[in-house]
Amino acid sequence: MVENGETKSIFTTGEVAQICKVSQQTVIRCFDSGRLQGFRVPGSRFRRIPRESLIDFMKSNQIPMDHLETGKKRVLVVDDDEAVVEMFSELLDRDGRFEVRTAASGYDAGILTEQFRPDILLLDFKLPDINGNVVCRTIRANPNYRHMQIIIISGVADPDEVAELKAAGADEFIRKPFDINAVINRVAEMMKVA
Amino acid sequence: MAVGVPRSASSRAGVRERGELILGQLDQLPTPPTIAARLSAIAGSDESSAHELVRTVETTPSLSDCVLRMMSSRSVHRGEAVCEPRSSPFILHPLPQGMTVARAVSLLGVQAVRNAALLALFFDTLSDDAEAGSAGGNRRGLWRHSLAVGCAAELIAESPHVGKIDVGGELFLCGLLHDIGKIALDVCLPKSYARVLRCSERQPSCVCDAEREILGLDHTTAGRRLASRWRLGQPIVDSVWLHHQAPDALPSTLGNARQVRIVHLADALIRRAGIGASGSMHEIDIKSSASALGLDQDALAELIERVPERMNPIQKALGLDVSEGDASYLQSVSQVNRRLGRLNSRLLESNRTLQLRSDCFNALSAFTARLSDHDRIADVCAAAADFVCSLLPIDRALAFVRMPKSSCLHVGTRDRASTDYRLPIVDCRLNDELTEWFESKTGCGIIPASEECDALWQRCFGSSPESFLWLLPIHTEAASGGVLFSSDESAVGPLRAAHAECASISSAIGQAVTSAAARIAAEELTDEFLNLNRRLHAAQKQLARERSISMIAQMAAGAAHELNNPLAVISGRAQMGLTKCEDPRLRRDLEIIVEQVRRAAGMVTELMAFAKPEQPRPIAQKLEKVLESACQHWQSVSDLRPDAIFLSVNDADASVYCDGDQLREILQAVFSNALTATDPDARQIQINSPSRATDETVRIVVEDNGVGMTPEVLEHALDPFFSSRPAGRGRGLGLSRAYRLAEINGGRLWLESNHQRGTKVTIELPARAPAH
Repeated sequence: MVENGETKSIFTTGEVAQICKVSQQTVIRCFDSGRLQGFRVPGSRFRRIPRESLIDFMKSNQIPMDHLETGKKRVLVVDDDEAVVEMFSELLDRDGRFEVRTAASGYDAGILTEQFRPDILLLDFKLPDINGNVVCRTIRANPNYRHMQIIIISGVADPDEVAELKAAGADEFIRKPFDINAVINRVAEMMKVA
Repeated sequence: MAVGVPRSASSRAGVRERGELILGQLDQLPTPPTIAARLSAIAGSDESSAHELVRTVETTPSLSDCVLRMMSSRSVHRGEAVCEPRSSPFILHPLPQGMTVARAVSLLGVQAVRNAALLALFFDTLSDDAEAGSAGGNRRGLWRHSLAVGCAAELIAESPHVGKIDVGGELFLCGLLHDIGKIALDVCLPKSYARVLRCSERQPSCVCDAEREILGLDHTTAGRRLASRWRLGQPIVDSVWLHHQAPDALPSTLGNARQVRIVHLADALIRRAGIGASGSMHEIDIKSSASALGLDQDALAELIERVPERMNPIQKALGLDVSEGDASYLQSVSQVNRRLGRLNSRLLESNRTLQLRSDCFNALSAFTARLSDHDRIADVCAAAADFVCSLLPIDRALAFVRMPKSSCLHVGTRDRASTDYRLPIVDCRLNDELTEWFESKTGCGIIPASEECDALWQRCFGSSPESFLWLLPIHTEAASGGVLFSSDESAVGPLRAAHAECASISSAIGQAVTSAAARIAAEELTDEFLNLNRRLHAAQKQLARERSISMIAQMAAGAAHELNNPLAVISGRAQMGLTKCEDPRLRRDLEIIVEQVRRAAGMVTELMAFAKPEQPRPIAQKLEKVLESACQHWQSVSDLRPDAIFLSVNDADASVYCDGDQLREILQAVFSNALTATDPDARQIQINSPSRATDETVRIVVEDNGVGMTPEVLEHALDPFFSSRPAGRGRGLGLSRAYRLAEINGGRLWLESNHQRGTKVTIELPARAPAH
């Protein structure tokens, strides 16, 4: 098992071989032929593979992801309403399939996105500092997070605003109040597809 | 002359003073030589008188010359006159050989020679500056008149009807000198006297009036003064002084009344005959004067015929003649005739003018009377056409007017053969150039019409003008146009020549058009104002509605966020509880919580949906199908009696173009309203559509037999949150939302209701997609 494989962002060819359960030579061949994207360490000839390239490579070669991840999906819940955050934490923890972190503002959401590298973002629309659609757009602009799923869960009822959120790059919009089972199922479903 | 002439009669005293001054000037005139008195004394015609005459005349060479001239002119044959009209009567031509005064006396008689000699003397005395100034011509005429009166007086005296007069020989002098005052005044004041004559010519009054008016004294006064000073004897003095008095007005004590009467008659006769120029133009009653002397018309006619014969040699000798004897008389007659003719034609002319004016005035009155307060421009045009028709011998006329900034012509016609008075507005381009042309022609009166006018005539009457087409242009600030009529030139001539009348007709029509246009403009303005007011009212209502809707939207948006968070937590927690809870009673409570949260959230959503409905996605659908499925749905969900709903669609092909969901929502709202308003046992809801497939819009009418609405309720029935039901029951968004959905789908919805009788809701929606 690769240490800190769940959160590591740069892998060596040896680590990649371990995760993918192939020989290191195969990894090097794939790297050199360009099928596995990466870079060489400046001043040496050591090959390094970023996490996103590795995920792309594993997906395209249908390699099981088990050795890259713990098996639990990382969920970041962003809402300024403490009661809502608390409820989601409890709900997702209780389910057991998810590892949950929470943020109460757009700024916190940004920091945690970088550190925690969530698989899925449950995002409220009205945040105290920046609105959900801005957070959504910022994440979508960064190719490092292209595998991240974003679900906006909001009380907004204005159809124009809903349309705007979808346009900002959200994968899903769920209106408050909601059916908890429906939300959990939808999150799990989206994880599988991803 | 040093003496000025007063311009006005206002200063009577000044005029009198002037008269005194003039008398003083008369006194300074040269006196005739003493032989004049001697010659006057020769009264008889016997041998001694002849001898005396010859002797007296021969002592003065100039006088004898003159007498011999007379002799010579009589001795030559007619047509061989040796005397040419001369600038001065006393520049004599060479005399014929072998003439003597004695021979002249024996040939012409004592009287004639004596008279000629006297005449020559007086003539000489009063002929200073004879040709000078403007009065020169007048004075010749005066002398000829005087001479003719002298001759006529003499002839009257000789007439067998008059009877013997003692002083018969003197009558020539009486007549000759009767107007000596005029001649004297003319000599003294030639310019002023010319004015007197001009003034007298204008007014048919006695010249004496004009003389007194202008000079301050008349010629009878002046003549009397002169005659007295020259010692011409009482008969002459009286004749000079009184010849203007009517014969029966003479004082009975007057010794020489007979002479005066004869001179008066002679003067009148000569004036009527037009020989010479007396200056007086007024008529004298010849008949009574003549009969007082025993003369009848025939005698007068004979007498007047003999005058030229007697006066010709004398006037020739004096150089006063202008033509031969009879010819001169004929000329006088024709001169008078010509003057009469001219006068007559002037009278006819002014008569015609007056008649035309009166016609114009009558037609104008009729035109004005025809106009009324509710005339359109075309009515005024028709009246104008009628106006011109009544003035001229024509059957048809057409009036047209173009208002500024308009391409339309207002046309009115008059056709005596038809009862149709006017035509509607004709869309005929009277372009700006043509308008300018009209403008330039205004005031020109009647002019030949242009080609465009010809075309207009054809359009209006359907045939070409019968004759030449004329135009009377009308131009005012409000409009340009004209009256067209067809007529030959002779018929239109008199009116055409009457510029003033044409101008007043044109301006009368122009004013009528202007005032009609102003009235119509005011009416249109009022209409426009009312229309604007109505639209403003509607816009205000719509604005108020939109404001309230936008407030609802704001409120709903805020509420959605603020309410939905706690609702989400309540609902979520309850659901989480449900998953852990086994106790059925607790589970039931939790379920109720979840359900009620859903309801509360639904309200917020509904509010939002009302304020900001989703954009419709219209599709074309068969109306019948939509209504049928809606009815089936209601039957199934509302547990209705089978006959409670009655559906009828007029045209199975009719389609409706709108958002399907929203249409269902509209129908649902209207149907719910009908359901709540009706008693379940007597419920009758009729749904029908009268529309045809070809209509642009379709109508769905939902009628119930429920409680209906009072006017107050009806007024607010479409306001959001209004509900006639007790507070707290229903949110009152149903009909209001239906109205809004109909609106965003390009349709309308309205209500009619009778309290206690039922309500009728009409939904109108587009039948098909807009053309663009």
